[in-house]
Amino acid sequence: MEAVLHNKDHGHAGADAHSESFIRKYIFSTDHKMIAKQFMVTAIIFLFIGGAFALFIRWQLAYPGEPIPVIGQMLPDTWVNDAGAVTAEWYTQLLTMHGSIMIFAVIIPLLVGTFGNFAIPLMIGADDMAFPFLNMVSFWLFPLAGVIMMAGFFMEGGMAAAGWTAYPPLSAIASYGQTLWIVSLFLIGFSSILGGVNYITTVLNMRAPGLKMFDLPMTVWAVFITAIIITIGTPVLASALAMLFMDNFLHTSFFQPENLIVPTRDMTRTAGGGQPLLWQHLFWFYSHPAVYIMILPGMGVVSDVISTFARKPLYGYRAMVFAIVAIAFLGIIVWGHHMFQSGMNPLLGTTFMVSTMVIAVPSAIKTFNWLGTMWRGKMEFTAPMLNAVAFVSMFVVGGLSGIFMASTPVDVFIHDTYFIVGHIHYVLFGGSLFAVFAGLHYWFPKMSGRMYSERLAKWHFWITFISFNGTFFPMHILGVGGMMRRIFDPTVYDFLKPFQPMNEFITINAMVLGFAQFLLVINFGYYWFYGRKAKRNPWRANSLEWQAPSPPPHGNFDRPLHVYRGPYEYSSPESVQDYLPQTTSPEELEEQRRHHERRLEQQNTAEPVN
Amino acid sequence: MLDWLPENVSVFGEGVDHLFRLIYYISVAIFVLVNAIYIAFIIRYRRKRKGEKAYHYHGNNLLEFSWTALPFALFLFLAFYSDGIWEDIKYSEKTPNPDLVVEVMGQTYLWHFRYPGSDGIFGRRERGLISTTNPFGIDPEDPNGKDDVTTINSMNIPVNKTILVRLSSMDVIHSFFLPNMRVKQDAVPGQWVDIWFNSIKTGEYEIACAELCGSGHYLMRGVLNVQSQQEFDTWIDEQYTTARTALANAQETTNE
Repeated sequence: MEAVLHNKDHGHAGADAHSESFIRKYIFSTDHKMIAKQFMVTAIIFLFIGGAFALFIRWQLAYPGEPIPVIGQMLPDTWVNDAGAVTAEWYTQLLTMHGSIMIFAVIIPLLVGTFGNFAIPLMIGADDMAFPFLNMVSFWLFPLAGVIMMAGFFMEGGMAAAGWTAYPPLSAIASYGQTLWIVSLFLIGFSSILGGVNYITTVLNMRAPGLKMFDLPMTVWAVFITAIIITIGTPVLASALAMLFMDNFLHTSFFQPENLIVPTRDMTRTAGGGQPLLWQHLFWFYSHPAVYIMILPGMGVVSDVISTFARKPLYGYRAMVFAIVAIAFLGIIVWGHHMFQSGMNPLLGTTFMVSTMVIAVPSAIKTFNWLGTMWRGKMEFTAPMLNAVAFVSMFVVGGLSGIFMASTPVDVFIHDTYFIVGHIHYVLFGGSLFAVFAGLHYWFPKMSGRMYSERLAKWHFWITFISFNGTFFPMHILGVGGMMRRIFDPTVYDFLKPFQPMNEFITINAMVLGFAQFLLVINFGYYWFYGRKAKRNPWRANSLEWQAPSPPPHGNFDRPLHVYRGPYEYSSPESVQDYLPQTTSPEELEEQRRHHERRLEQQNTAEPVN
Repeated sequence: MLDWLPENVSVFGEGVDHLFRLIYYISVAIFVLVNAIYIAFIIRYRRKRKGEKAYHYHGNNLLEFSWTALPFALFLFLAFYSDGIWEDIKYSEKTPNPDLVVEVMGQTYLWHFRYPGSDGIFGRRERGLISTTNPFGIDPEDPNGKDDVTTINSMNIPVNKTILVRLSSMDVIHSFFLPNMRVKQDAVPGQWVDIWFNSIKTGEYEIACAELCGSGHYLMRGVLNVQSQQEFDTWIDEQYTTARTALANAQETTNE
């Protein structure tokens, strides 16, 4: 089965530099590397939009009703009041769009779109994806969907405002912004499925000769398993969205019971008889696995980065693979833990608590294996390594805070409080986004052919790391205090008033965190074009992508590959070097050893003269 | 960190807080242990010169097994330990016999409360009869419903009594949150959910909405008055009188 499609689909085997028109090369490109870069640039633009929304939210929470500094007066009337302060209507839109953008237009496109596209063909030694055209369609659906989601701004009632979870009846009775949100997510789902099918096919069929499944790097395994979750889960979301669209736009009643009292909408056309909880079941059946879609690729990238910079084989490779498979499988049967207080039968609460507790086990296995990888390693703390190390530590916090929610009685209190907000940000920012930073720095030389500035990257890392913790750790305390999610003004409640100084502290940190991201853009933007030229294998890493030129040309590899071993043979006694690429043949290895021995002998014979 | 918890005044809240503390101490212990090892590794296993070789080692099955089995045992213990408390809070067959039943109806952005009249019986209600003027959908034909007491954003209950809250919503999903009672339950339109609690201390507490219900979500604040039985009786008698007077006035109007 190996390499069946390899060098066959493309008329031009291997690397070649033929000229293409600007549009074919940069816009409607079918080259997986260009598509990965397109995903990256688009997602980073959305990262800044979603981040700006978060800062408006934070401003309002720290200083309720006070005008936004500097730009408050410049914002449109539908967003701010006359004084330039956030309105409650815009606030609900902001929190909805912040969540939706960050999840669907930033984290998933960065981890799955960018790393999946860039790393899979290169790491398995293929010249492109199995379906390059589908790949292009998969990308172009994404900015289209993003624009549709944001287009609610031009509609009456503004953007979607029912939270990123869009619970009906609130979402069903909402105005056009919500309709656009549904359409947008539907398109993103399409994009995901096209990508998912592509990744699965590519990994199964296009591996280089000699590359066995259990010789794949963790990044490939993680994206492969993620792709399977995507293809299983996304159709369920799509069907739920289709029903919600009909409830919202065509007045059907999948999720709406009889006789809803809604003065703002003509409810005589809605028959009723639906069940609001049905949406929650369908939505979380996708969206809980989606949390793992957003963390598994990160775990893969981090495994590769830690192994490379610790110069040590990944500890417990097979356990790591099986842990990912276990997470993917268990991830499908834990969705009910979002619904403990929803009115679902409490007996189901018990069931989902047990499955949720069990899913913590594979996460623990992964953490211990990362520790094992670092044990007796020779670690070099480059920017990718720093971000990967931060990932592990932050993921531990996110994992542990998850246990509180998994325990149903504790969840009674912390459900829908800032404890959840803190938890999700430790997983999705402390986890996924640090993994994204690790991966972007790690593959930057391969993507651009140049080196980024290590100094700027370290500044970016430390500022981000500190202000990240300053922003999100206190949120756990707010949650313990009982502060509800998604409230516009916490000072309305007496029991929340003592937390106002903490809210201010969080907001100041959040601003530092937001502005620190410009360092990343400056670093990447400048050094992408003006950086020092990168060598083929600047990190002295084993996996196949480092055998291609930097940056790899169309078709990727300039010589035929054969794979002899797994990607983690660092510091192997077989080799005289501290790494052993997957493609080094036993003959080459023998040659290296002889060469090395000769040099040692020469040194030894030369020494007595001195 | 747990000092930040709002004061607990409910009977089962003790169990919730106990579990909260237990998981907190376990988490802190795991966090400190893992990060201590982690930081020790970061300091100890740095590369000192280029090309230096690390220990070539692929892993140990016994270790893999033990760090699978130990967390598994711990998490299962937590799940079953939690479940006992969960069952006490939410399972209907474990709910103690209520001393008082209060119906609660969420509306954007209000809480409606309904007490049975002096006859102690709720009037029949029907989803289809719900309207802005009749939030509970009380059947006007049913005499039992005529003296029912309703209030807005203010709930009075007697101390040390089991209160059963029967919860629903007129429009979108709300969540009935009593921070000091450790009570949180979504109010779902079209369905009634029961939740009970028992306050051990009199005083004025806050009621909040914990589920996004629109841009006025944050305004959905109510007050919970936990009173002595005597104060509560006085209060409810006043309400009965008001309800009877209103009823008499209404009948007069219809007779004229």
